[in-house]
Amino acid sequence: MSRPLVLLCECAGTLANIDFGRLERQAGLYADVIRDTHWCSRGGQARMLELMETSAEDGRRLVFAGCSTDFAARRFQRLLARGLKLEIADIREGCSWVHGDDVDAVTAKAERIVDSSVAHPDAPADAVSYTRRRDTVVVVGGGVAGTQAAVELAQMGHHVELVERRPFLGGRAARIGTVFPTNDCGQCLPTTDAQTGTRKCFHRNLAIDHPDLAIHRRSTVESVAGHPGDFEVAIRTLPNIVTDVCINCGSCEPVCEVESSEPGKKAIFTEFYDGRVVRTVDLETCTFCGRCVGACPVEAIDFSQSPRRTTVNAGAILMATGCEPAPRECFDYLNYDGERVITQVELTEMLDDWTAQAALGCMPVEELVMVQCAGSRDRRHLPHCSRLCCMIALKHAIRLKALFPAMRVVICYLEMRTAGVGYENWFLEARRAGVEFLRGTPPEVQYDAAGRPVIEVEDVTAARKRVLRPDLVVLSTGMVPAEGLDALTQTLGVERDVDGFVDILDRKNRATETSGEGIFVCGSAAGPKALIEVNTEASAVASEIHNFLTSAGRRGTAASRVDASQCVGCDTCSTMCPFNAITLVDRPAWEKRPETVKDDGKLAVIDPESCRACGICAATCPEVAIAHNLSDDALFGRIATMTQGVDRPVVGFYCKECAGAAIGLAGQRRDRYPEAVRLIELPCLGRVSALHIVEAARLGAAGVFLAGCAEGRCQYRSGDTSALEQLSIAEEVLAEGGTPLPLALWHLCAADRMSVGRRIRLFHARAVGEEMDEALFAHEMALIGADTMAAVPCAGGESCGCDR
Amino acid sequence: MAATAEARYPQEVLDAFEQLKSECAICYQCGTCTSSCPSGRELYRGPRRIVRLILADEIEAVLKSDDLWRCTECGTCTDVCRMGIDVAAVLHRLRQLERRHGGIRCAERTAADVATGSLKKRPRIDAMRFGAAMVSRGYVPKDKVGAAEMGVKLARQLLSGGMKRPAGASSPAADPQHASVTLAFYAGCSIPQDRELHALVHEVAAGFGVRLDEARDAGCCGHPSRGTVPSLFRTDERVYTACPACDASLAESGVEAVSLWDALTRRAAREPSIAVAAAGERFVPYVGCLADRDSALASLGDAAEQSGAEMIVDYPTLHNGCCGALGGMYRGATKSSARLLEFAARHDAPVVTTCVLCRDNLRSAARELPLPATVRFWPEFFRAVPTTMSAAGTAADAAVLEEHTDDRP
Repeated sequence: MSRPLVLLCECAGTLANIDFGRLERQAGLYADVIRDTHWCSRGGQARMLELMETSAEDGRRLVFAGCSTDFAARRFQRLLARGLKLEIADIREGCSWVHGDDVDAVTAKAERIVDSSVAHPDAPADAVSYTRRRDTVVVVGGGVAGTQAAVELAQMGHHVELVERRPFLGGRAARIGTVFPTNDCGQCLPTTDAQTGTRKCFHRNLAIDHPDLAIHRRSTVESVAGHPGDFEVAIRTLPNIVTDVCINCGSCEPVCEVESSEPGKKAIFTEFYDGRVVRTVDLETCTFCGRCVGACPVEAIDFSQSPRRTTVNAGAILMATGCEPAPRECFDYLNYDGERVITQVELTEMLDDWTAQAALGCMPVEELVMVQCAGSRDRRHLPHCSRLCCMIALKHAIRLKALFPAMRVVICYLEMRTAGVGYENWFLEARRAGVEFLRGTPPEVQYDAAGRPVIEVEDVTAARKRVLRPDLVVLSTGMVPAEGLDALTQTLGVERDVDGFVDILDRKNRATETSGEGIFVCGSAAGPKALIEVNTEASAVASEIHNFLTSAGRRGTAASRVDASQCVGCDTCSTMCPFNAITLVDRPAWEKRPETVKDDGKLAVIDPESCRACGICAATCPEVAIAHNLSDDALFGRIATMTQGVDRPVVGFYCKECAGAAIGLAGQRRDRYPEAVRLIELPCLGRVSALHIVEAARLGAAGVFLAGCAEGRCQYRSGDTSALEQLSIAEEVLAEGGTPLPLALWHLCAADRMSVGRRIRLFHARAVGEEMDEALFAHEMALIGADTMAAVPCAGGESCGCDR
Repeated sequence: MAATAEARYPQEVLDAFEQLKSECAICYQCGTCTSSCPSGRELYRGPRRIVRLILADEIEAVLKSDDLWRCTECGTCTDVCRMGIDVAAVLHRLRQLERRHGGIRCAERTAADVATGSLKKRPRIDAMRFGAAMVSRGYVPKDKVGAAEMGVKLARQLLSGGMKRPAGASSPAADPQHASVTLAFYAGCSIPQDRELHALVHEVAAGFGVRLDEARDAGCCGHPSRGTVPSLFRTDERVYTACPACDASLAESGVEAVSLWDALTRRAAREPSIAVAAAGERFVPYVGCLADRDSALASLGDAAEQSGAEMIVDYPTLHNGCCGALGGMYRGATKSSARLLEFAARHDAPVVTTCVLCRDNLRSAARELPLPATVRFWPEFFRAVPTTMSAAGTAADAAVLEEHTDDRP
């Protein structure tokens, strides 16, 4: 193997505090060096392209010594896209620009940085290979969210299996009458054909009848096996009995003598007409008497069908299971009785009757009180805000005032939340219509001797108690995850949030992905949403799944691997892995094993499709049995190289994600800190183990700090918490060894670019034992342009760099 | 504000407020606590406002607020708080702070002070001394007629031998034909003040075949001093009380206290030889603020059912301003007590209370309004009678029997 080639960049003369002659000589000991004043210039890039081709031929590694990883990636974007492989030695943001005029010290540090990259590179990433992803998507839930996403995916050319638990598509939105903010029905989906208008009801929308969209009614997901890109999904389907030749004549219902479990419905019934299946049979109550079969003129009723199980091989799974109204126990404290105290859902059902009464000049009730946040935003019941209830109350209140101008409608509210396009107009409209708004929340609803509800409530804005005696109380109750979501998430191995909804991967950037690779979510399954958001998310998730199925992989880093000859089959890695990528399997007889492991020992196996190469498993494995792209040899080598030849260094491990951005941007601001601070870049902070920290201490470090992504925002979910655990282990080890060190873990993001330099300076000062004296304090205050007389040293906390 | 507060209040108060502030920081001012507060007094603006003032650093306004002393410590606000804040405990601690560092005086505060001072010297609050102390501190009774009547009554008792335990207190039950049990009775402070009432309680209990044992010196439950002086009474056994305030305070200091009236009602239901008789065909129940409202009302309902009297329930009976609880320290009729008395007068039915202090307070209110409503304490309305199973059947019982005979096919 030939010597690596170092491309040394003088950055157009801006690295004046580095002695390039000396740096070239030092690097030349282990590598060939080509020096240029400006590698990213047009001429420089042309030269680099030539070198890329020749080095590919003779297998030489290229090391670029110049700007930071992020900056170089941008400058050499086009070459990198053409296959250029570069190791980066950051002597600009990570060295020259953050240090002073001590050429000797700065050059010495630059030498260490270059040596480190030359001697201890990451493993080459060429080995990445992906299995083909199956071009089928299983969509669970046939409401607005699931159906729209399914339609869009089918139109993109993927095969879709839509699994709906109930007999009809349409979900909750289709069944609840009118919806806000449009005040029309919720039975429509967008159409794709511009000639036919912008939207159509489920039963008229031919887009759902796409040949690549298979619908499974009365079906549930029974089990899931396989891995991302190639799931094996077992679907259990109950027969519908009524087949799709039904013409909706209704001859069957009058002959049926069985009342179904739902009030007012026969065992053969229709509910929401989604256009494909019209009627269904309630299998719980049906006595299979066969009267309906005789009555049906088109032989649409077939009792010979039986439950069946279908297995589908799918590349991705979409959860669109929606939400449902909170159960009674959440608002029972308000003495709900379903008659005088009802819910908004029940009011919806009554409003059709009331409309008819209004036409006849009758008014069903004279006074009606709505109680907002009934059981919601309440630590005893549902802590979350369901977001829709304010708008539903406004919608109903406005409708009531339109139907019955003389009706007194009072809304007892905690806060009116009307954030959304045009929503505030509804609030305004309701006030104009004469709806009374009372800021206050009753603890209960009483009944007087005549059975009339009595509400005693503090009118908070007036600081007075009011007694309301309405005819009807309507509770605006919250939403909870759909029944069965618990079982489904367990089957899929997907995490849920504190409120029980599906936990989305990232609350800012990845709203439709879950903790499971290849498993997606949209709509109210991830929290209650209005239809405009549901529609938007359905389209978003369709694109996201399309990308997932068609990309060869979004990651260029090799997955971690388990060394079977070291693995003892403990479950540390599988419990630490934030992506459920590791499973323990029975060790095959032919596989290598450590001497201590008997035949029945388990073996950890990493699914390369799910692995995101964060390195948490490698850092926490007690047997050091997991090989990461950045090997332990390389990492220990970097620690040794970086700490070499410097008195009392301070070692900083930082992740190349958010902390890398903060540190890189601080470097561009030329925010100075001492040369003795030696930084080591990691893919994720989770890669660092207690051993690495102890090693740094053994090599003379005066302090070690770890810098990861912002609090709770680790790009690999739990890298920072894993690192914190390793830090405390190291702390114990060092304390026991009698050599305690200042240690710290910082959460950084690009917003910290202004303060990270100060943090590093103050940490260094503390580590080497410099007191925070007046001179240093005054210096720091002058740097941030503050008036020293007015400011007082802070009392601690993470935002301050002083680590008190 | 901070600067003036620092100048005015010692560090202890500032620290306590910081602590309270951090506990109340999650309050979103929904007002459920105030909505639920049964203290119906006109001027009481409720816990929500006090919490708001804490959060706004208005130490002075909080500590000088009369409202603090209108809290009856019933704990409803804590029960209903959506954020799980122990609101009643917050008010309790504020009263403790105010006692040490507050400025302004209100009648309730004065009463609490007098009660506390009194309790430090002797285990019982003496109504005469209490009244005298209040008047000497400038308190003018709102219901002067009621106060005068009470004064005369107490003075007469004093002249004829002071506060004595009634004769039946340690003797066996009057009626030997009923199976007799002995219950440990915690008389509290109000009932023993009134000799006739004290005797009546023993007599009614005896009718139910219950001997009340007052061997222990029960003393005061500690309630009127708003918990700043804990009850001096300690026991491991179950005690029976005739007052919801005693129930609440004793339960807080770990004593198992049971309402005597509930116990008597249950006993009558169990013993075939005892029936409950009522001194009227119908009545309006009132359970006060400190009672466990639902169960107290249910118990009154049971008594009504057994006696055949009709219990007419109107909504306000459930929520009413308690009080005058400190020695009949009546502060004027509230909207809710007016509503209750008006309801009772309209139905020509007496109000029946489970608390003697409620009785006195409501009587004052009826006098003030004025409304022709009568108010009776439980033993003044209910008593036991032997059933038809025993030798002497009443006419009413006979009528019931006849009805049953008629029903037979």
